[in-house]
Amino acid sequence: MSAGDIITAVFLPLGAAFSLIGCVGLLRFPDLYGRLHAATKPDTVGLIFILIGAAPQLRSPGAMVAMLLVAMFQLMTMPVVAATLGRVAYGRGEVDASNMIVDELAEDLREVAARDEESDDGAEAGRR
Amino acid sequence: MTAPHPRAPRDSGVRERLARLVDRLPRPMRRWVLRIGVRMPMVAWLTVMWLILWGDVTLGATVAGAIVATGCYAAAKLPRMPIGVRLRPLGIVRVVVVLAYDLLVSSVHMAWHVLHRPGRARGAVVAVPLQTESDLLMAMTAGGLTMVPGSMVVGLNRDEGVLYVHGFPLHDERSVEKLRRDVRRTEELFVRAFGTAADIAGLNGGTPERVPAPGGRGADGGEG
Repeated sequence: MSAGDIITAVFLPLGAAFSLIGCVGLLRFPDLYGRLHAATKPDTVGLIFILIGAAPQLRSPGAMVAMLLVAMFQLMTMPVVAATLGRVAYGRGEVDASNMIVDELAEDLREVAARDEESDDGAEAGRR
Repeated sequence: MTAPHPRAPRDSGVRERLARLVDRLPRPMRRWVLRIGVRMPMVAWLTVMWLILWGDVTLGATVAGAIVATGCYAAAKLPRMPIGVRLRPLGIVRVVVVLAYDLLVSSVHMAWHVLHRPGRARGAVVAVPLQTESDLLMAMTAGGLTMVPGSMVVGLNRDEGVLYVHGFPLHDERSVEKLRRDVRRTEELFVRAFGTAADIAGLNGGTPERVPAPGGRGADGGEG
């Protein structure tokens, strides 16, 4: 067994395990954010491990570089997807507040809303 | 080799020498050189990607790639690479290594919580004011944070430079404070890898606590 085979033997199952755990987390975590974390991040590690595991079995360097691109684009696009989903979920109020220790975004949003109301009142009073 | 006159550290060098070279060109030519020059790195990058996807490096493929890259650039009206960034190799290596390590450790951490009582895992959203004023560094920090398991940017206030980061899984106030520290550390890593000398100087004299930005609203809600 060559060194490449050992790398494959270690990383391929490890990557598969991380991907599986991501899916299990998607099912088991109680709220949307937890599921989002589980669905996006361990999967990335899983994919990269699977790529590392597959690389030694490919004899052509071109294919390896292409796999590097796959990993890179996964790393670049995944945060965008996660952040977009997170943002939309928050905006729609799909977030379970009872599962949060603190929520400073909600605090700040409330404050902004209160201030806007105040300034609206002020403007109306000025008009009257 | 000693510098004949003291000036801002590091940021001079190649960039300034290039600028002086361009200044010597006749005016109409200068514009074109600048136009092409600032777009060159992106075209080179696109060409490299073309070659990777093409599979082998030949002169024909390179020329074709450069033509396609230039054409795409023109057609998509892609912006030029933003100025106000420096590439610091040591800092880049550090940010890559630390983020890779974080990715691994927090994935294992996440895996543990998936298998062991996932119902008790809780989250939190913290507001962390950033020290950098650069949009690009802010975007990089947000991207880096979202990449690593356990933290995700759910909102940001660009005017005041505040990131709202959701952390998961957390247990108590202590882990919330740790999340806050992690956000600041990630920002510092990115600033040290890509920031200008001014950005880095701002980092050292920066404010570690949640302090209202000058003229801005305090994130803690100080003003009634």
